[in-house]
Amino acid sequence: MSTVTSERTGSPACATASLGNYRFADLPDPSKWADCVHCGMCLESCPTYEQTGEEQHSPRGRVHLMKSVGEGKLDLTPDLLDPIFTCLDCRACTTACPADVDVGGLIEQVRGQLRQAVPLTGWKALVNDFFLKGIFPHPSRLDWLGRLLKLYQQSGLQTVARKTGMLRVMPDHLAEMEAILPKVGTPVRKKYRNEPLIKAKGETKRTVAILTGCIMDVMFSDINEATIRVLTRNGNDVVIVSDQTCCGALHVHAGDRETGRKLAKQNIEAFQGVDHVIVNAAGCGAMLKEYPELFRHDPEWHEKAEQFAAKVEDVSKFLYDTGFKVPKAELNVRLTYHDACHLAHGQGIRKEPRAVIESIPGVEMVAMPNADRCCGSAGIYNLTHPDMAQAVLESKMQNVPQDVELISMGNPGCMLQMALGVMKHGRNQKIVHTVQLLDWAYQKEEGKDVRI
Amino acid sequence: MRKRPIATNDPHIRALARIVGEEAILYRKEDLIAYDCDGFTVHRHLPKAVVFPNSTEEVAAVVKYCHEHELPFLARGAGTGLSGGAIPLNGEVIISLTRMKRLLHVDLENRRAVVEPGFVNLKLTNSVAHRGYYYAPDPSSQYCCTIGGNVAENAGGAHCLKYGVTTNHILGLEIVLPDGEVIEIGGNGVPDPPGYDLLGLLTGSEGTLGIVTKITVRLLKNPEAKQTVLAYFDEVEDASQTVSDIISAGIVPAALEMMDQTAIEAVEAAAFPVGHPKDIAALLLIEVDGISAGIGEQIDDILTICRRHHVREVKVAESEEERARWWANRKTGFGAMGAISPDYLVQDGVIPRSRLPEVLREIANISRKYGLRIANIFHAGDGNLHPLVLFDASQPGETERALAAGSECLKACAAVGGSITGEHGVGLEKKEEMRFIFSDEEILAQTAIRDVFNPKNLLNAGKLFPTPGRCVETKQVSSTVK
Ligand SMILES: Cc1cc2nc3c(=O)[nH]c(=O)nc-3n(C[C@H](O)[C@H](O)[C@H](O)COP(=O)(O)OP(=O)(O)OC[C@H]3O[C@@H](n4cnc5c(N)ncnc54)[C@H](O)[C@@H]3O)c2cc1C
Ligand code: SF4
Ligand code: SF4
Repeated sequence: MSTVTSERTGSPACATASLGNYRFADLPDPSKWADCVHCGMCLESCPTYEQTGEEQHSPRGRVHLMKSVGEGKLDLTPDLLDPIFTCLDCRACTTACPADVDVGGLIEQVRGQLRQAVPLTGWKALVNDFFLKGIFPHPSRLDWLGRLLKLYQQSGLQTVARKTGMLRVMPDHLAEMEAILPKVGTPVRKKYRNEPLIKAKGETKRTVAILTGCIMDVMFSDINEATIRVLTRNGNDVVIVSDQTCCGALHVHAGDRETGRKLAKQNIEAFQGVDHVIVNAAGCGAMLKEYPELFRHDPEWHEKAEQFAAKVEDVSKFLYDTGFKVPKAELNVRLTYHDACHLAHGQGIRKEPRAVIESIPGVEMVAMPNADRCCGSAGIYNLTHPDMAQAVLESKMQNVPQDVELISMGNPGCMLQMALGVMKHGRNQKIVHTVQLLDWAYQKEEGKDVRI
Repeated sequence: MRKRPIATNDPHIRALARIVGEEAILYRKEDLIAYDCDGFTVHRHLPKAVVFPNSTEEVAAVVKYCHEHELPFLARGAGTGLSGGAIPLNGEVIISLTRMKRLLHVDLENRRAVVEPGFVNLKLTNSVAHRGYYYAPDPSSQYCCTIGGNVAENAGGAHCLKYGVTTNHILGLEIVLPDGEVIEIGGNGVPDPPGYDLLGLLTGSEGTLGIVTKITVRLLKNPEAKQTVLAYFDEVEDASQTVSDIISAGIVPAALEMMDQTAIEAVEAAAFPVGHPKDIAALLLIEVDGISAGIGEQIDDILTICRRHHVREVKVAESEEERARWWANRKTGFGAMGAISPDYLVQDGVIPRSRLPEVLREIANISRKYGLRIANIFHAGDGNLHPLVLFDASQPGETERALAAGSECLKACAAVGGSITGEHGVGLEKKEEMRFIFSDEEILAQTAIRDVFNPKNLLNAGKLFPTPGRCVETKQVSSTVK
């Protein structure tokens, strides 16, 4: 650590300071690796170490490598990409670590450095730029993508593609993903464009905003709808803030912290007028709560980010904390619950979603062993590291009880991945979001015909 | 996993890759750095390569290759060792056993199980718990350390006070000798086979005599009842005296653990706090188990003894959940040091129980002398001390001071008739301190045994024993201290 020239750089744009062989602005935080005493208590919590048994694929090994760069013993070379980018950013190690080492946070910071030292090239760069910069941050382009997908699904093209074997020309993992794409609906951002405030049912207790998400709103608009219904049912006026954007998690995971910061600033400003930002995607929620990390070197925005983060809450915890109405109708279903990494490890939210689900009459909860083990989805990890994602999913599926009808969880990314697991294992379980269950129970209570 | 085409012309790497497969070898610096030390971080050295064999045959083939080409090599499990046993001091080829992690056989009728060396300690208990059995040796690192590593270090744990250390639970071993020959010892169920006790010799040999590739262990039936007591003391002396009195009262607790004030500060600042008061001088965690009848009286006796020694507060765990919390707090104690110090060095001295207060006082003196904090978390019941010297390796000179302070702690243990290691092994760390308890002749007699198994000394060389008259090796070691 003797090589620290400056820990705080004035502006994130200038690259004057360095820390060992880290030489780009927004330097990693050396106190994060200083916490690690190399005890190894995190090893078995790590899904990638489970698969390879290799230390450089373990939390301890990764911290050791990142520290070595900070100490000038190792350079930011292409050979570092594998250890650093094979991390799922699942945060299981942080739960296991007695010293509370923030391995995931450190990984994100170092990815920021590494991505600048070793920029993506070729088609990977194109795909990355196309989706992460060209699509996700732009609602109108997302809508366009959604319409395209919808067209693909409704026009019969999907059937044609599947029948003719056109999909066989795609890499296996992409073809598999195609098979489990949910049916695309109408994004709530679009649907409620002219109705920015959806009134609570009955007396209004408070007003909340929801993060509609980028891809979430396109692929899972039904979950956003369910979230709105559940919130309004519990006395919340719901506003859909129009200038909100993608949370930036995918960018930060990929090492593009600059775009991450840009999106963060936009969201912080967009939600300025509200007291609560409710999130139904664990990955996005964790990101929003970690905005301050992105502005470590920028006091002004750091403070704004802190204030913003304090307003963010996951929908299950928010309902639990504010006292949701226990539904009266019975659902009569056996289900199990999967802890999304960014809910359990990232936000420490475990009991609240379970309590919400178990409050529904007729629900029988079957415990899943190692419920908080990553499913391998991890944002776009299943696209960038298909082999590892597949192996991690395989290990997850071993733990999913056979005799349940539903698998419930609080993160859309996991929902896609688990759907893939169910399909590949020839199982017939349905994948649902926690709020969908509550929504169904409420609807049934109102006498609607609910089919799960 | 994805194939990793070999991108080097090094003939040894290419040959080893042919044995274990391209996806089972590491040789790039970026990967190897993760293997430059184990749980003992003071010394660092890069291995030549790391291989991940999948079977005994592959281990034997790798060993044979190294033997023929005079490449130094060593075995590594989870790398949680605290004495540097898995540090590739001579640029060894590391044979990692982490992919040989199958549970091969469970035979509850005969209360035994057969595991591969990379099988993680706690997983064994987890695999048989629902049938009412468990594997007794429970090092605090049991969440991650391997049974192969436990055999090599003859690991102990909190519950070894009553049930004995690893060697008391090993029934058979399959071993690859340093020339690649595979042998089996024990395992056929004869409790005391004729001839020399090779199982005893191999267990605790710190990876210097052979590589363990299969282990037959004893399983125990879960005790019918279990009770756990937590006691807070204002004086270390009172806590120590309580330990002595419990044992002399004829009670054999399953576990009897102590933590001092600095240790408590760390565990409370870390991830698994219990809410221990910060101003107490020491706490005891006492567990008794066995048949239900009589447990109540034992607990009453323990409470009486605690009170006799001015305990400030004492309580019995009211639920399994509470008990588990107390143990998680204790067992993550070493790692918890990260919450109050950038680095730590844990020592592992053993002393006669009756000398506890005196030695703890001496350790406090050493702490003052070197200006470094020393926390104590240890197996008080069997007098196995773990002074944790807290330091900051980034401060010039602190590492050396910490090493010296640690060594002096061991000297204090040896001075009262104790030993320099209870369970963490000698490894690289304490080989010089072996002189505190053995004469040159005694050390030579032991290296003679090693030479029978390991004549070329290619397997884990430079560990366990000081090298009389050959100062080259010691120089090499000190030059790796950063
Ligand atoms: C937080 C923490 C707490 C700990 N608590 C305890 C405790 O309570 N009690 C205790 O006894 N120890 C404890 N230890 C020390 C350590 O966990 C044990 O020594 C353990 O047995 C090491 O196992 P491993 O798989 O990590 O082996 P490694 O560290 O990988 O190796 C240790 C030694 O064994 C050799 N070895 C490994 N596998 C084999 C094999 N298959 N064949 C031959 N040689 C082999 C290696 O060459 C090396 O010399 C603790 C360590 C930590 C970090
Ligand atoms: S990250 Fe935590 S658990 Fe892992 S080695 Fe470091 S201190 Fe130990
Ligand atoms: S975040 Fe997950 S994948 Fe990454 S090191 Fe930690 S446990 Fe392993």
